[in-house]
Amino acid sequence: MIRTGFRIALLAAIAMVIAAAAASAQTVVFKDPIGDDKGPGKYIYPTDPVYKPGSFDLTELKFTKKGDKADVAVSVNSNLEDPWGMKVGFSVQMVFVFIQTDDKEGRTTKGIPGLNIQFGPDDGWNRCIILSPQPSARVRGEVEIKAPDLQKMIVVPNQVRGSGRTISATVDMKDIGTGDITKWGYQVVMQSNEGFPDKHDLLTRKVNEYEGQHRFGGGNDGDCDPHVMDILAGHGTGDKSEIQEQYQMLVYECNPDGTSKKMATLKMVRK
Amino acid sequence: MRTRKTFWIGALLLAGLVAAAPLSAQITIGGTTYTKFLWGNQRDEGALYNFTTVPGEGYGDNGQGTEIELLVDGKLSKKLGIHARIHSRFNQNYWTNYGGFGGVNPAFQNDGQQTPCIGGICGEYDPRSNQYVKLRGVALTLTPGYKWMDTAVIGQQDWGNFDPFVVGRIRYIDRDNQGGILVQGSAMDRQLTWDAARISLARIYQGPGFTTGTFVAQDAAYTAQMKYIVNPQLDFGGIFNWIHDVEIDPADKNFDNGLNLLTRYRNNVYGGKVGIHPATTVDVRLQGLYSSNDTNPEFAPTNFCLTGCGYSPVIGGHHTGWAGKADVDLNDPFGIGLSFNLEGFRIGANYASLLAARRESDVLLTEGHDAAFAFPGPSNASYGVFGGNRTRIGYGGWDGPMQQVATINVDNDFTDFDEPLAETVIGWEGVTLVPTYSKGSLEISGEFSYITYDSNWQAFNDASRSIMTTDYPTAELDTGVNHGYRSAFAPFQDKKTYIGVAKAKYTLNIGKGLEIFGKIKGIHETDNRMNDARFLPYQAGDCPGGGAACKGNKNFYSTGNTTSDLYGNPPVITVTNPATGQTQTGYQWKPFDSLSDDDRLLNYWMANFGVGYQLFNDLYGSLTYNYYHANLVDGDTAMQGYNLHEMASGQHRKNQLVARFKYNIAGISECGLEYQYNWGTYHPDFGGGYVVQYASADVNKNLGFPVGSPGFTGRFGGWNSLLDRNFDQQRMKAYIKVAF
Repeated sequence: MIRTGFRIALLAAIAMVIAAAAASAQTVVFKDPIGDDKGPGKYIYPTDPVYKPGSFDLTELKFTKKGDKADVAVSVNSNLEDPWGMKVGFSVQMVFVFIQTDDKEGRTTKGIPGLNIQFGPDDGWNRCIILSPQPSARVRGEVEIKAPDLQKMIVVPNQVRGSGRTISATVDMKDIGTGDITKWGYQVVMQSNEGFPDKHDLLTRKVNEYEGQHRFGGGNDGDCDPHVMDILAGHGTGDKSEIQEQYQMLVYECNPDGTSKKMATLKMVRK
Repeated sequence: MRTRKTFWIGALLLAGLVAAAPLSAQITIGGTTYTKFLWGNQRDEGALYNFTTVPGEGYGDNGQGTEIELLVDGKLSKKLGIHARIHSRFNQNYWTNYGGFGGVNPAFQNDGQQTPCIGGICGEYDPRSNQYVKLRGVALTLTPGYKWMDTAVIGQQDWGNFDPFVVGRIRYIDRDNQGGILVQGSAMDRQLTWDAARISLARIYQGPGFTTGTFVAQDAAYTAQMKYIVNPQLDFGGIFNWIHDVEIDPADKNFDNGLNLLTRYRNNVYGGKVGIHPATTVDVRLQGLYSSNDTNPEFAPTNFCLTGCGYSPVIGGHHTGWAGKADVDLNDPFGIGLSFNLEGFRIGANYASLLAARRESDVLLTEGHDAAFAFPGPSNASYGVFGGNRTRIGYGGWDGPMQQVATINVDNDFTDFDEPLAETVIGWEGVTLVPTYSKGSLEISGEFSYITYDSNWQAFNDASRSIMTTDYPTAELDTGVNHGYRSAFAPFQDKKTYIGVAKAKYTLNIGKGLEIFGKIKGIHETDNRMNDARFLPYQAGDCPGGGAACKGNKNFYSTGNTTSDLYGNPPVITVTNPATGQTQTGYQWKPFDSLSDDDRLLNYWMANFGVGYQLFNDLYGSLTYNYYHANLVDGDTAMQGYNLHEMASGQHRKNQLVARFKYNIAGISECGLEYQYNWGTYHPDFGGGYVVQYASADVNKNLGFPVGSPGFTGRFGGWNSLLDRNFDQQRMKAYIKVAF
């Protein structure tokens, strides 16, 4: 009798925990169409075979809040591989997840050094989660040197995982913000992990006019072009029309000396 | 001194170049410093790398040193860029060299012997120990803006933009030594891209017998590839490579009209691949390659001896072969986080591409063999039955599983134990299935592979020839717990391999997230090797036993050809046990009189478990325990490791405790430390049919086994010990890289 009572109590407790977890979990999912991993429309992958087709083709962002933690998962249109032995399940990708929370103070429209982008006046971001295969301490060190003014807004997870086609990490919600995550704005920037970046670039790979073994092509040899392969656009439904919206957002103009005349300007995507 | 002068001249030229550049030109100079600490109780100090097989080069597990590379990039105009790398190498540049002063000058040694310059002893008299600096990777990049051509790169680069089956990476430290001309273009809004190249062949190894002969200046590879992305669902490509190694015609004595050239070596490879991506859940990739390989017997080795001299990056003679693989990926087809990767593959025994990737590529899905056992003997020593050949890399081998490369020209030289090891997959054919389940921070994956071999043959597939000379370079031959990393061929093979892996990783929500991970792996391998009695070396009953000498009646599998050239009969010996005084008379090793004498049966499994944690914001640490267990029958004393290597038949238990740390503060590119404690046992079991001998003072002096300990002396005079061996080794590598 006592044993039966114990079992019932245990089952009830488990059910309550599951129910509580389910009740407290909030998820935001955005889709992105395939085949738009061309930045503003003309970008092309580096020529080294490690950059498999689809490696930078963003397909989904899933942001799930579970209590005081949040899982962030970004999927691409290619199986992840670890040709450079980063030992976290992927090597060539690097993802920036920009979030605009309810907190209207402290937003910025600046991009991260090396991306050559900015955000629209109403689309500033409060937090950016960096999903990099580099050790977290390396990423933090780079942020400290190359983006000291943004340091407090950048969240570097301790562990980032790559499995199948999804790069994911868990972050503390206290590092992100409070409020209803379904009301927030999001933007994802697909980039490539560059272990030996340019002096001012935050571990990002450059886009040049012509692709090289480890350089994207189709852009400009200066720093006026967005060093971005894929982003979310429109309403983040994955509709084909979002391809053109992405290209529009990433339109840029260069001065003859390679400096920016008109910088690519991103918008947040919302539910 | 000369090197230093060269450096300053180079620096001045560089400064001149910077000064002379147009105002609009952008010249950037960056670089990386790399400092390494090695420590180990093998106490080797030949060079600041753990391993090499290159004759005359050192290796070691102790010492500290620093190297630097300067990267010079210039954008002289919109249409012209330059790149160069000026690099010093660790080699023997220990801090204890005090900058490379003094030292032994090998030119003035009067001991009648060539003093090997290893361990820095030659100081200033050898570039490898006087902090030499090398010019590498000098290239011009032209982007003239022509419609038909996007880019031309003239100079040295690593050529990694081609296919690892055809033209791939060479060793990291020499990654951009290879010079040539690369032209790239595109059409149809860059849906179609093409590359064409002429690559000069390295005289020191890119030809049969690791040489391109005597006339080297025109030896080259001509390579072309194209890729066409039809749409996101379909892409295809093709590749062609033609290698032509030429020599001056020795019969042409008419100098008035120039000299004729003759082919020394020719290698053609044609390939195609298709990618089909119908949905995000399905991915299909197909690849096929065909090769032809021709060596001219007038200039190049067309065959290689079997025992100890079968080293070449390509096979000899005329052969054609093919390789191919098909990959099907099902990415979470049920929407529950479960994915499958399926790969069928065949890399024919005769598939040959001289410039295929030697390392730093992984052409197959399987994780293959473990690098903890990568060389023939129980402690990873090759030719360990002879004095002076103790293990170089150490009992622990290298970390993790091996990468697979489609060449016998595998290169693992100048590596440390924490670096990935490559193994040849020439001859492999089979299938691999990898299921992966991922949910949140949990990942579970597995592997099942079945591998058989296109090199399963008898007498190298040509019973009309002696097995002692062959078209197929055998390197260390195929003995040991796992197979030698560059051994693709054996005279007799009938092998099957099964590999099973299950591994899991999970992050516990404790503190900053505690990672736990573990793995179980098993390998079952059988190799009947000689499976036809007509190849037995002697006629039945040739060695009657009972102290009677063998008669020596050879068995010929074809006219004049007998395996007794390899598996010669033993003499009759009488041995007195020094401990008991008892004497025994019999054969020195078991006569090779049964097809089972060379049979191989491997039952191998390993397991590991570890935890990792971000200890501080700057410091990540992990602790892993690895256990390896191998029950191995790898022939008996009749086979005796092809007379060359330590026998490994018996039971192996290897343990590794591994502590890894990654540290970083702002400005550091990479900083880490790995410490390993490797311990274990080897219990030999060589079967019976021979008289146990006891180690002499010479054996003790040359190999270290105690005088009077049991063993046997093989055909070539090598000593195989019957003692249980207990291994207890430690090693550490710490490094820091800073880019500036």
